[in-house]
Amino acid sequence: MSTGLKEKIGMKLETYTFKVEKGKIKELALAIGDLREEYLNGEAILPTFPTVIDFWGGGASTSDLLGLNVKKVLHGEQEYEYLGEMKPGDEITVTGVVEKVYTKAAMNFVILKKEFVNQNGETILISRSTVIERH
Amino acid sequence: MEIGYQFEPLHKEEITHSQLVRYAGASGDFNPIHTVVPFAESAGLGGVIAHGMLIMGFVGQAIGQWFSTKDLVKFSTRFRAMTRPGEKITVQGHVVDETAERWICQAEAVNDVGEVKVKAFFEIKKR
Repeated sequence: MSTGLKEKIGMKLETYTFKVEKGKIKELALAIGDLREEYLNGEAILPTFPTVIDFWGGGASTSDLLGLNVKKVLHGEQEYEYLGEMKPGDEITVTGVVEKVYTKAAMNFVILKKEFVNQNGETILISRSTVIERH
Repeated sequence: MEIGYQFEPLHKEEITHSQLVRYAGASGDFNPIHTVVPFAESAGLGGVIAHGMLIMGFVGQAIGQWFSTKDLVKFSTRFRAMTRPGEKITVQGHVVDETAERWICQAEAVNDVGEVKVKAFFEIKKR
């Protein structure tokens, strides 16, 4: 493992806020081909919508932040714990931390934990992503 | 509903390059390994690969057919194999366990020769 990576354990990620827009819900539903009416009219949220918040809410590249080679990076695992309901119009603030780093089978594994908090201060979602860097 | 219960599989249409471009825009994941063939080739992937989150989205669609997603309390996936344009994904699943409050379920996204792309576990609040 690159010497720097282990030192990133505990590092805080960029904090960002994203407003849950109906248009983005519809766009994600169309891209997946999950054409339920309540998604298309932006009244219900798809289970994987948090990924939209991650990419559109944050400006920084996680690979850059961790010093990973983008050509070698894969998404290994994703876990969501839904603690509360996310609604259209919500303002979601995301904070994250590098929870774990380890090497296995000549690959680096980085686990990022993120908490999604709504405008009322309620934690509605916990996300854990495993990022894999091939050597 | 009971342990072992098999859900009706969800059959998705063939994944296209256009779908990956569309998913990149929708999700905001513009990593060119998903959309730009020469870049993906130079990364040693032999061509573009689908976003893992797109395949997780297919599983999410299946869960929405099997239950109300409002009852979904936990959803985890492991991305096991790369998926490429031209592949057709089916999502299948069953109930593996239960607690007093929850159904514990498993799902897989597989291609038409049965290669497992995504293995998922999810938990549903009992009504």
